Amino acid sequence: MRRLCGVVLLIVAVVLLAQANIPIKVTLTMMVAGDQNMVDFFQYEIAPEFEKLYPNVKVKVVGTGPGDAGSQQIIQQLQLEKDSGKDKWAIDLVVIHEAGTIWGIERGLIRQYTDFLTTRRLVTMKTAEVALGVNVNGYVMPMFHSQTAIAYNPRFVKDPPKSYAELVEWVKKNPKRFGYNGIKGGMSGVSFVFGWVYWKSKNPDVLMNGPFDEKYMEDWPQIYAELKEFNKYVTLTAGNAGTLDALNRGEIWMGPVWVDMFYTWIREGRMDPNIRLILPEPGMPGQPMYFAIPTKAANADYALKLIEFVTSPAVHAKYIVDKFNWYPAIGVEYVTPHLGKEVFERLYRDIKEADLLKFGKRMPIADYRTRMLEAYERWVEK
Amino acid sequence: MNQGEALCLAFFMEVEPMKRRRELFVGFLLILPALIVLGALYVYPLFLSIYTSFTVGGKYGLANYAKAFDIYWRDIIYSVAISFTTTVATLIVSVVVSGYLRFKNWKFLELMYKLPLFIPFLIVGHAMRVFLAPHGTLNNLLTRILRIEELPGLSRSWIGLVWAFVWIMTPYATLIVLGAFKSLDSAYIEAAQNVGASKWKIVIDILIPMCRPSIMVAFILTFVRTISSLTIPIMVGPASPNMITVNMMFRVNYFNDWGTANALGVISYLIVMVFAIYYLRFMAAERGGIKA
Repeated sequence: MRRLCGVVLLIVAVVLLAQANIPIKVTLTMMVAGDQNMVDFFQYEIAPEFEKLYPNVKVKVVGTGPGDAGSQQIIQQLQLEKDSGKDKWAIDLVVIHEAGTIWGIERGLIRQYTDFLTTRRLVTMKTAEVALGVNVNGYVMPMFHSQTAIAYNPRFVKDPPKSYAELVEWVKKNPKRFGYNGIKGGMSGVSFVFGWVYWKSKNPDVLMNGPFDEKYMEDWPQIYAELKEFNKYVTLTAGNAGTLDALNRGEIWMGPVWVDMFYTWIREGRMDPNIRLILPEPGMPGQPMYFAIPTKAANADYALKLIEFVTSPAVHAKYIVDKFNWYPAIGVEYVTPHLGKEVFERLYRDIKEADLLKFGKRMPIADYRTRMLEAYERWVEK
Repeated sequence: MNQGEALCLAFFMEVEPMKRRRELFVGFLLILPALIVLGALYVYPLFLSIYTSFTVGGKYGLANYAKAFDIYWRDIIYSVAISFTTTVATLIVSVVVSGYLRFKNWKFLELMYKLPLFIPFLIVGHAMRVFLAPHGTLNNLLTRILRIEELPGLSRSWIGLVWAFVWIMTPYATLIVLGAFKSLDSAYIEAAQNVGASKWKIVIDILIPMCRPSIMVAFILTFVRTISSLTIPIMVGPASPNMITVNMMFRVNYFNDWGTANALGVISYLIVMVFAIYYLRFMAAERGGIKA
């Protein structure tokens, strides 16, 4: 009898093992918020490499567009999956902004997974734990960090202003030569406004870390009145790309830009390579993009493998830092051994790592963030 | 329906009620697909958006409207003003083009005025913002001809916005107006020409008054298409004030605030409805006039 049991168990084990060995065809569907370069990154760089590693997997990349709008699309899609009551959702992996992540957690659309991720331990930035003041620990793995800074054209600007205060003086001497895109045309303008509020506010740390209390907003009317005054001397450009275009055409001499976008345009020959960057005191915000896994993703295991792959030091160095000019999500010390010296110097030429740590701010927490944007509409645009 | 017809119908309904009912049922089945599409894609979203505009955090109220008017009242006026300016400019251009083409057969113009119909809004937006930028194509040309250092750019201003809109909207309006002009009996025009009326006089005194219904249609369609456009204001329009659509997008994307966005949407339905009602009453009066 015992022997029979043993044989049966053996057969069962063999059958199970055999099944595990049959490669099951898997389509890994991922939705990516962000500019086209993010979609290209996954479609043309990561997907082929990953499919080489796992020949049974086919990676399908769907781009949902830049900014929080892109994240909004993803959340809507996940909500539809949830509302349908299906056991297995058709979306396996999402790449999403901070605001979108919070919406996802609030509605139970994404799951905790980073305990199973070895590269999570290489992350040094706080953004893996807190997004816009909300605890996101466990739900997200940062994909990269992107930073805003002020670009200037040395042909016209010999001695760029090193702080917001100097910038205010500068625009009065050079009216309409500083340009930013307001708050409705992309995040580089939004970041500039947040930086402005941080500079003027008595409690910038509270705005970044919480807690939320209206009493920290008492000085805002004055802050925005000064920004409105400042706006009289500046040009308002059309979007993130609009600022870069206007810099190229020499219409403006300075303007806030995303560092990665800026370097990518230079590398592709779309941007005057003489234009330089500066991160003004007391700093401007940056933001991470996050990997998140939907609560009932059908292929969560492969999603995890893909995240592991992209955030592993060698791949991270080659693609995230070298090819796409983003700041690494994992500690710089893990990436450096895989980077050429010139790559490292390119990314840290104008903005040193120390500057980044000192002046690279966080986005404000969600409650202040929406109020800051609305305050701009109410007091600056009107 | 006169009395005889009514009696006739009553007779048939009595004699063959079954057949009649079956016919009605078949008729209903035939229009059912269209009804379903209309209901699912138009009526349901419409009511949903009206419903959402009155809800704030699960409670009913007017808070969304209060917010919409508080922050965006200037943008609402601005949207109506821009749409109105665009529509008037578009109609002037299309009446001029149609008037010309009514008398002269110029194949080139006939082809060229239709060209913008086939270019997507996004492409037009991008083209216009490069074309009208301070150091853009237009100004580069003008500064060279006029030998001036700097010219202000038209993009990011309301003039540039109206310019782009007129460029896009004109072909559609012209198609309608020219169609009406061409279908008008030539006898009227020839009669006027016989007594020595100039071509301008004919356009203003005969073509425009006789084609008023079509011009009204062109007016309303242009207005509605302008006020509901998002791409062009985002790409060419000034950073502030904004068109209503831009604010709706901003509300959804940055705040996830569907309530206020829908309130703004309902406000723009109401604006459009003012014109629609005016149009319907105008049409009714016109028909009544013809009968009388």
